[in-house]
Amino acid sequence: MARIRTVELGRYLLNGKLGRQGCLCARRASFAGMSAIGQTRHFASPAQQFEPPIHPRKQAKDQAKALKASGKKQKKKNTDNQTVPGWELTVGIEIHAQLNTPRKLFSPAATSFNDTPNSHVALFDVALPGSQPAFQPDALIPAVRAALALGCDIQHVSRFDRKHYFHWDQPAGYQITQFYEPFAKDGHIVLRARDGIAAEDGDSIKIGIKQVQMEQDTAKTMALPGEVQWLDFNRVGVPLIEVITLPQMHHPATAAALVRKVQMLLNSVDACVSGMEAGGLRADVNVSVRRTDDTSGELGTRTEIKNLSSFKAVEDAIIAERDRQIALLEAGGVVAGETRGWSLGGTETRRLRGKEGEVDYRYMPDPDLGPVVIDEQLVSHLATSMGMLPDAEMDQLISEYGLSTKDALSLVQLDDGARIQYFYNVLDELELRLGADKSSDQSHVLLAANWCLHELGKLTEVSSDLEMTPSGECKVGSADLAAILHHIHRRQITAKVAKDLLWSVFRGEIEHRGVSEAIEAQGMWFQELAEEEYAAIADSVVQGEMKVVGEFLRFKTGKTKAYPQGKLMFLVGRMLQAGPEQKMDPASAERVLRVRIEEVYIPALEAMQAAEE
Amino acid sequence: MLKTRTISNCRRIGISTTISHPRFSSSSTSSAIPRPQPSEAIDPAALLSNPTWSVRSLLPQPSDPATSSTPPPPTITSSQLHHLLRLSALPLPKSPAAESHMLSVLQSQLSFLQAIQSVDTEGVEPLRSIRDETAAGMAEATIGLNQAQVRAALASEEIMGRCQRPRRQRGAAVDASEAEEWDVLGTASQRAGRYFVVRSGKSGDKDGEIVG
Repeated sequence: MARIRTVELGRYLLNGKLGRQGCLCARRASFAGMSAIGQTRHFASPAQQFEPPIHPRKQAKDQAKALKASGKKQKKKNTDNQTVPGWELTVGIEIHAQLNTPRKLFSPAATSFNDTPNSHVALFDVALPGSQPAFQPDALIPAVRAALALGCDIQHVSRFDRKHYFHWDQPAGYQITQFYEPFAKDGHIVLRARDGIAAEDGDSIKIGIKQVQMEQDTAKTMALPGEVQWLDFNRVGVPLIEVITLPQMHHPATAAALVRKVQMLLNSVDACVSGMEAGGLRADVNVSVRRTDDTSGELGTRTEIKNLSSFKAVEDAIIAERDRQIALLEAGGVVAGETRGWSLGGTETRRLRGKEGEVDYRYMPDPDLGPVVIDEQLVSHLATSMGMLPDAEMDQLISEYGLSTKDALSLVQLDDGARIQYFYNVLDELELRLGADKSSDQSHVLLAANWCLHELGKLTEVSSDLEMTPSGECKVGSADLAAILHHIHRRQITAKVAKDLLWSVFRGEIEHRGVSEAIEAQGMWFQELAEEEYAAIADSVVQGEMKVVGEFLRFKTGKTKAYPQGKLMFLVGRMLQAGPEQKMDPASAERVLRVRIEEVYIPALEAMQAAEE
Repeated sequence: MLKTRTISNCRRIGISTTISHPRFSSSSTSSAIPRPQPSEAIDPAALLSNPTWSVRSLLPQPSDPATSSTPPPPTITSSQLHHLLRLSALPLPKSPAAESHMLSVLQSQLSFLQAIQSVDTEGVEPLRSIRDETAAGMAEATIGLNQAQVRAALASEEIMGRCQRPRRQRGAAVDASEAEEWDVLGTASQRAGRYFVVRSGKSGDKDGEIVG
């Protein structure tokens, strides 16, 4: 047998490529030897070199299949991850909120936000020797309102204590707080299903609030490279309230819902300056786990999670910490009582400070400050003048006005509470116009809500472009929208015309309170066709659609189970196309068509089929 | 008048008001000395010139530990001392001799406190500071609607919306010039524009910062 050239052999063995002749032997080799080689060898066909590339969609599908087959864990959704079988989670939350006051807590310097650094600093704020605190009574008003909104008992006498620790953002070396005798105790907050609690908590859950206390804020620091900090003492001494809940939450979603609800309540009584996202409200979460069959009745060691900057972070951090503690305990370890931090998008909490660094705060009553004595009269005045709280408002919207929970929630939350005021204004005007005609079944209310939410939302990409004022007016005047809705409700214009009008009002093409004149001027009143005219159009449309009528016959004779609603609407659409659309109401067209199908077309078809046989 | 108030305050914090003669035992509970009869003339100069009691009586008597009625205070360990010094941001002792001196001083201070701690204060409200706790005094300290500042704050609020919720008008100018107008940045040892500068590195003789 002739020797195979090394180059060709190498190319075949290493790359699977054959020469021009498609076989691996020299030209002068005998055919017998060649065929033997050809039968026993398996070689890559030349066709494989030219295979088309795999379609990307197929590639993605293959990858997903491979991933699933490999058994890699997919990240669980939060709603499915509320409980771990065999373990009970306990969560307690401490919320710090900046109070809405003109002056600081213990000095007459002004509170501010992003003003010139170190421009609102009193002598006591930087703890200059010889300076004394002077309690500013202004701080009591939002503090007492916040405590009342949380259902607490306001203590007649409360006192201030010092919490000692050294940090560069605290000039005095101690923070003045209310450790032993806070000004409000024993409150509660009721969370409902609509507040976003875990499904496992049922319809509603009541969380107790241990106490609400007043305390000072610290300075703002900016960390710079080279271990240098820049300090702005404008924020030192600004009043905060700390809300401490009882450890009665057992699901992460409920804990996040509690923080959201506390922020909403504080906002509604004008007690807090800004929300969690803006840094005006902070939540520190205490998490512990124990087995469900634990008979000792004691809670497990708790860890504290700080640096949470959003509601989602609260839920995610609790889930991560719970899983970490369970894994630790199942492996036979012990949970250390430490402080941990969380970063957005993280998977596990990280240790900030361990037990060795646990600080002894050496609480002592502050001797420079007298007790805070709150007058009963002031408390009752504030309690009666708080206005309707959000829960009561939501209940009224749902039960009295008949809105759905989802719609009511959206209305109340949009535009910082301005959208619901707009809705009330529109509703007032609408009811004024309708007078005695207003529907007893609240359909006009639902119409107004639908338009204030959805139609108004369609006008702009961002809701701030509507320029909604806090008193409830925007680019579309409430009186004008009410006029449009009034005409819709009385069926004087069609929905399509109404939407066009809304656009015109938004763009300022129709003058204020000139909606009715505009309709008159452009002749857009809805002059509905008579029944016979509808019937005539229906007849003309059905002419070429006998097959569709056959569907209705099949339903009548029982061959199909469901009424062919889709086919009906198809025919209605054809009718609207055929006839003068602005004079037609789809509902009336459908009604007439339905009747004519029953009475005229089906018998005609039956007669035709009988004649054919 | 002053004497009765001091005595009533002393009773409140539980210190015995019986005056003990230095010739008698150092214990705070002793039999009453014979009081001068009302008919006898009281010589104030003679009465006040001799001290009848000294704080020294509360310090540990090294010569006669048996007569001391209070139990010896627990000894402080070196690590406890270091912990206390760190909490107070005080420098640690430089040498073992300095440390033992500090410990002995602390020990005698604790035995002094023991005498106070041994008094039964069951049911006695601790005194936080001396203030006017009469009904008139408390009424003066009460914060309510009768205070001008509170009334002004409530009057400047506006009632918003259908739910009639009061809201403070933000952005209204607050006159705090009296408190704010002084050279704040003049107290800074190091500045950067309008900011105070602090070095946060653990260097030099600074102890590590304890983060609260």
